[in-house]
Amino acid sequence: MRFRLIIPVLLTLLAQRMLGMPGMPPWAAEVLLPMAWIVAAALLQKEHGWPYQALVIGLAWDVLFEPVIGPGGIAWSAACLALYAFAGLVADRSPKAWVGFGLIGAAIVTLVHRAALVPLGLPFSLTLGHWLRLVAFTGLWCGLVGAILKLDFPGQWQAYRSRKLR
Amino acid sequence: MTVSRPPAVLTILLWIVLEVIAAWQVRTPEGTPVLAMWIRSVARPLAWSAEKIGHLIVDASLGTTDLQQVIVDNRSLQLEVERLSARNMLLEEDIAAFRDADELLRDSAGFSNGAVIARCTFRDLAAGSMEVRTASTIYLPRDTPAITGGGLVGRVVRSEGSRHWLQLITHGAAAAAVQTPDSDVQGLVVGTGGETLTVAYVPRQARLEKGQVLITSGGDGIFPPGISAATVVRVRETENPFLEIGAEPTADLRTTRIVMLLPLWSASGGGEAE
Repeated sequence: MRFRLIIPVLLTLLAQRMLGMPGMPPWAAEVLLPMAWIVAAALLQKEHGWPYQALVIGLAWDVLFEPVIGPGGIAWSAACLALYAFAGLVADRSPKAWVGFGLIGAAIVTLVHRAALVPLGLPFSLTLGHWLRLVAFTGLWCGLVGAILKLDFPGQWQAYRSRKLR
Repeated sequence: MTVSRPPAVLTILLWIVLEVIAAWQVRTPEGTPVLAMWIRSVARPLAWSAEKIGHLIVDASLGTTDLQQVIVDNRSLQLEVERLSARNMLLEEDIAAFRDADELLRDSAGFSNGAVIARCTFRDLAAGSMEVRTASTIYLPRDTPAITGGGLVGRVVRSEGSRHWLQLITHGAAAAAVQTPDSDVQGLVVGTGGETLTVAYVPRQARLEKGQVLITSGGDGIFPPGISAATVVRVRETENPFLEIGAEPTADLRTTRIVMLLPLWSASGGGEAE
């Protein structure tokens, strides 16, 4: 992970933490905000070694949200590897692709994470409704990020400044 | 655009390490880490296998020991069978000897007073000697006659405790005065050193035929009269004044088991001495 991305990732995790704070709607925490970084790495393919960096994100996720450190690293790196594989098969980079990759990434993260908990004797606490909401919200979140990137606000701001200065 | 893909093996190893780390953190209801339970789960089959292998080795060792013991026992049983077989043979020999003795006592009733029954323990027909043993220690005078159911055997030449040595009638230096049962022909049976005898001093005109039995006459002062001594097997006339007569002992010296010793017989007394 590039060092310049550490702060944004930490901010994302912090935002995730805030979504689960008391007072927030119960469904607010049913989204995986860091998934946007994994999907971006797969679709933009600008970063090398992202599976290991996804592993670090997963460990950070465990530190912040889980009672056990380790399964998160497995789940997030597995999702990253899977998305890298899908990115090689799909040419679409539109927001719809971001939604789809988000769906797939969220599904893999939750399933692998629960699967990694099974050998530890921890309960496989995943209901279908919760899982579907989590996957759907994460897909929508990734699609939102993809759409924002598609709008290219910095480029438009630069163009606007250029026109103003002219 | 090429996608940088990490080595799958390394990734899987990382996952395993993470899972192990997680297992180290999680505790079972008993308070021990799940990792310890995993290690026990892995180690238990190994320990079980090692235990079973140990038992197998011990069992094999015990089996080998038992097999060796069985071999030893089998060998002991074989030796016991051989010993019993030999003892059976000895008992059969004893029974046959007792029968011989019974027959001898029945056939030699006239000599049974003071007679001593002895058992043959060694014979050397080529040397013309025989060793006999009595049941108890007894001294037998030299020249004590020895007879068997078949006839004359020889005389005692040495006595020592229960062991007594006989000079067989076939000995080269042995001789006994004999006659035909009707006392018409008299002669001297002489040993040849082999298994046959010669009858000496029988005049040429004597009527003696092959197969005729000669009995002791008592004229030698050693053997009592009336005991079968020899069977004529060959009669030949020569230039000498006496017939050349070949004979065989009536007693089968090769199979003699029991002999009767007559220490109380005395020629001077005309019968058995008191």
